[in-house]
Amino acid sequence: MIELDVRLPLARFPLRVEAKLPSDAVAVLGPSGSGKTSLLESIAGLRRGAAGRIAIRGERVLDSSAGLNLPPERRRIGYVPQDALLFPHLDVRGNVRFGMTRHGSDAAFVEAVAILEIEPLLDQFPATLSGGERQRVALARAIATTPRLLLLDEPLAAVDPGLRGRILPYLLRVREALGIPFLYVTHNAGEARAVADAALVLREGSVVFAGTPEAALAAMGREDPEARFDNILAGRLDEARAGGAGSFRVGDLELAVPGEDADHPAAAAVYCVAPEDVLVSTHPLEGVSARNVLSGRVTAVDPSGANAWTRIAAGGLEWTARVTRAAAEELGLVPGVDVWIAVKTHAFRRLR
Amino acid sequence: MTAPSDLSIFLLTLRVAAIATLVILPFGLWVAWLLARREGGWRTLLETLLSLPLVLPPTAVGLLLLEALRRSGPLGRLLDALGVEVLFTWKAVALATAVMSFPLLVRPARTAFEEVDPRLLAMGRSLGSKPAAVFRRVALPLAWRGILAGTLLAFSRALGEFGATIMIAGNIPGRTQTMALAIFQRTHIGQDDAALRLVGVTVVLAFAIVWTSEILTRRRTRKTAA
Repeated sequence: MIELDVRLPLARFPLRVEAKLPSDAVAVLGPSGSGKTSLLESIAGLRRGAAGRIAIRGERVLDSSAGLNLPPERRRIGYVPQDALLFPHLDVRGNVRFGMTRHGSDAAFVEAVAILEIEPLLDQFPATLSGGERQRVALARAIATTPRLLLLDEPLAAVDPGLRGRILPYLLRVREALGIPFLYVTHNAGEARAVADAALVLREGSVVFAGTPEAALAAMGREDPEARFDNILAGRLDEARAGGAGSFRVGDLELAVPGEDADHPAAAAVYCVAPEDVLVSTHPLEGVSARNVLSGRVTAVDPSGANAWTRIAAGGLEWTARVTRAAAEELGLVPGVDVWIAVKTHAFRRLR
Repeated sequence: MTAPSDLSIFLLTLRVAAIATLVILPFGLWVAWLLARREGGWRTLLETLLSLPLVLPPTAVGLLLLEALRRSGPLGRLLDALGVEVLFTWKAVALATAVMSFPLLVRPARTAFEEVDPRLLAMGRSLGSKPAAVFRRVALPLAWRGILAGTLLAFSRALGEFGATIMIAGNIPGRTQTMALAIFQRTHIGQDDAALRLVGVTVVLAFAIVWTSEILTRRRTRKTAA
């Protein structure tokens, strides 16, 4: 449970976020410049002008009416900014240890290093790390302090369709292993759905939507021209492979994924399918090379610019396909229409 | 009384300059930090006051110090009560050089502190460090090149201070006579060769210091460009 009532004057509009979040896993969505970063900095105590009330699981860090305003060093809030902000004069080890008290146990350090898989980087300096590695080190540095809340600002690079540098799989691991409450700022509604139980959508400093990540999708498409809707699927990856493909099970559904992935089977594997890679047809698909063909039904169509984000329930899952508005109109894609979708084996890209 | 050797003059100069630099270092860093980080109209006033020794004639600064330190002066009375003799001792040399060198330490240190990303300092706070600890663990290590450059600059200025020193410390061989003062005195009494020997020493010393400072500054620029 995270209670937010944050007010902060900004240059272009006032930030005014009021939300009682029943969940500990919250995605913060919204276009660039809608005040998401300012909200995180206010919660971390890094914005002097911030007023209101902030409580995490009942513990207040800010309560202006009671004259309470903890300085950042006493808030115990782990902040992972977009640019990671590692200390350039310290190696990775020094960075991760920075926030640990001198008598702090090594267990927190060892655990943070293991979860974020940064053991091979410990002796390197930030200047030699890739963007994704920096992000992981920054997340390790934050969790090594055993914070009561994590604040993550997704790097803008994560908006591109590539997988490199994504923090999501590690955030999933942190969530499973430590259960620290978090606020995750992202432009990727698919990631929000995979990791969060609640979502806020901001516009010009105000909350325009609060609810489940599933319900936030429509608001996202409307509000954020940069939004992405990756299909993030969690399931079991078997060792066996059939006809060169790996077998990935999500519930009762069996999907064909790249065969080489089966070399590293996992009970909890996570895959990403870009919405561009989901082919939609209003006729039964036959004679296509794609290994994954499912029948389903359109549940929603959210136009955004030249695109129409088309949600399709198929195989017990909700898929998002990116089609042009022209194509959506020609095919007559509206809620309730029966469709078939096809996804190539190699469109399944493994996140973990 | 025999004239002191070149070596003893050299050592006295070095010792006094080192003491003066060490004394102004903590205070200078604090002022540089305030000027770099805090807002307010008082900043311009403080900066102007601190820059005065750079632009005033050194003898004028010396005379002001002399007035403050004479027995009837405000500082002099206090020092007298404490039984501390300053005027015309090596302490006066250290005081004069400290005052004259102070702005040369503060300027580069201030620039170095200004170059430290304030968001890194905020991150240090967020990770549980109090402001003083953030200063020690983040600001100092990131600004050390500029601080060192300022310290070397202040030290070399201290080695060569003349005008303010002669006003409050005199030119007493073996007690307050630094290299700068000895060069003046030897030339005055026609010992030009002996004066030139000292000049040679000062040139070598100054060269070494400025060289070191240049190398440090160049490294910093390259690092910033990378």
